[in-house]
Amino acid sequence: MSASRPDVSGQEPEAATGSPLVEETADTQPEGVATVEPAAPEQQPGASQAWLTVFLSTATTVFLAELGDKTQLAALLLSAESGRPAVVFVGASLALISSSLVGVVLGRWLSRLMAPQQLERGAGVLMVVLGLWLGRQAMLQLAPAALSVPSG
Amino acid sequence: MVALLVSTFFTVFLAELGDKTQLAIVSISGTSNRPGAVFAGSACALVLASLVGAAAGGSLSSVIPTDALQLAASVGFLVLGARLIQRSLQAEAEAEDGEATDP
Repeated sequence: MSASRPDVSGQEPEAATGSPLVEETADTQPEGVATVEPAAPEQQPGASQAWLTVFLSTATTVFLAELGDKTQLAALLLSAESGRPAVVFVGASLALISSSLVGVVLGRWLSRLMAPQQLERGAGVLMVVLGLWLGRQAMLQLAPAALSVPSG
Repeated sequence: MVALLVSTFFTVFLAELGDKTQLAIVSISGTSNRPGAVFAGSACALVLASLVGAAAGGSLSSVIPTDALQLAASVGFLVLGARLIQRSLQAEAEAEDGEATDP
């Protein structure tokens, strides 16, 4: 199934500059990080995932999930009260970067504790549950009449 | 100004701990061997989302169909989750194959 994941060996990583398709020296970015983890890469089918693929899929998922979330509500509230949206933006950004760092470190730590298969299944089930819950919330917002029990 | 910065930081940080976004980041980072990419992607997305939030002020929900975006996000979660489950099942099958052919 590795064919579904593009294996771009020539033009692989990309600095976080945002410009796609910039060719760079392939061994600057993630290899050093990858050596830290003891999980044998040959056991994992996703070992050849391209940096850009992981970056984009993570960014899309997180961005979509985050918009309209309670963090947004908190940021909106603060910026509305203070009238200084720039300060609110910097504070919120620092907090979000910290929290995503915590998430990444937590994930790495779990991957050291558990077998990759176990972790993949657990994470998959968690994502499906989150997706169903999120979808239900959104559907309730979009079409409350269609889903709620008719009263009277 | 510093007080506002600090209060924003802690409000958002505490609101974010254990949030579904962070759970997603934990599962993506735990099952991918590119933690740098996961961190960069999630940090960029979160900063962008908060930029949109701070810039739009109170009118965000009138500018962006947030509910539709949430729906799209839920589909993304389902796809990622299904792929992870499929991958773990495949790895299991491959391991069994390996044991069967190569004892």
